[in-house]
Amino acid sequence: MQPELLASPCPVVQAQAVPTMEEIRVEMADMKVSRRPVEFITSVGSCVAICMHDSISKCGGLAHIMLPNSSMTIHDSLPYKYADTAVPALAEVLRKFGEGKIQLSAKITGGANMFRNLDNSLNIGARNVEAVKEALTVNGIRLLAEDVGGAHGRRVAFNVVTGIVLIQSLSGETKRL
Amino acid sequence: MDLQILLELGNIGAGHAATSLSEILQQPVSIDVPKIDSLPTHMIPKFYNKHDCPTTALYTQLRGESRCDILLLLEVNEAAKIATMMTTAASPEEVDPAMGASAIEEMSNILVGSFLGAVSDFTSVKLVPTPPQHVVDSFDAIIDNFLVKQSLVSDETVVFETQFKRGEGTASCLLMMFPSKELQHALIEKSRQWIGNESTKADKPETICPSESTVNISNCTKL
Repeated sequence: MQPELLASPCPVVQAQAVPTMEEIRVEMADMKVSRRPVEFITSVGSCVAICMHDSISKCGGLAHIMLPNSSMTIHDSLPYKYADTAVPALAEVLRKFGEGKIQLSAKITGGANMFRNLDNSLNIGARNVEAVKEALTVNGIRLLAEDVGGAHGRRVAFNVVTGIVLIQSLSGETKRL
Repeated sequence: MDLQILLELGNIGAGHAATSLSEILQQPVSIDVPKIDSLPTHMIPKFYNKHDCPTTALYTQLRGESRCDILLLLEVNEAAKIATMMTTAASPEEVDPAMGASAIEEMSNILVGSFLGAVSDFTSVKLVPTPPQHVVDSFDAIIDNFLVKQSLVSDETVVFETQFKRGEGTASCLLMMFPSKELQHALIEKSRQWIGNESTKADKPETICPSESTVNISNCTKL
């Protein structure tokens, strides 16, 4: 897959990760997995970014999920849109890459509620987080760390070699998972 | 939904808003909606390609006989240009931040109010706006909240690309409309009636539907 080097006409918040590493953007309802040394980038509000890592083969993948459950929309064919289908899909690819011996773990971030009154009754952000945690448990994947909730957007940079997740907000605050 | 009709409604609303703004500023202001996009909801972040761009967002709820969420999105430097147009400042650097925020909210009230007037007149559905919520964050993170909710209701989202002009200055913004199912039906019904009554049909609207780029497992393993 070609790396995405799209020019943006306005200032972009740059991650403070290893500068020479290739950055690949993961779009909404999408998933990317790599065994090359890359950094997966995505931006989340109420969506959740699932960063799954195999510490033995040093492969990793990022899924950007929008909704908790694939039964919420009937006519969809986007498995990476939902927590319950994206988690096993990610694990499946990493198992193939690992060729037998793998040690999978996950770090998650997102699930914010940025607009009051938008969906207080639905609270999709919190539900996404719960659904991802449940899917990880069901699939036997250890959750190592999380940075979830709140009311701000997050720019996520996942280094598939080290497994480190760098999270930046527009205010400049940075978290390392 | 017939995009040509929505585009007309957008321009009608924009025209009324421009009239109001011109009166307030005592200077000619024009607002055009040259383009309307209708695309799969989850493709919107990729299509606009703004990602981490610092963005000012104004979220207005329309309530009453039906429901609609309206989201106005401006890059922060475009918002500064509009704030300059709305105040007596000579340049964006001279705009007082509190005044600038207030100016943008006022612009949003006028634009959304006019747009909603055009929609209400067309559909005969009465809607009332709430005061806007003003958020500054990255483009993708902001729209994510709306697209997630929208994806439960509809596979498609409609976006109006809007241009402001005052003198030599121009600024652009995006207006995203998230109507409830009932309002969508009202729009479709009225469109059908209107097209049925018209003897000549307008040219097909400009519809941009980028091709699906669903990633499947075999694509992943090529990395």
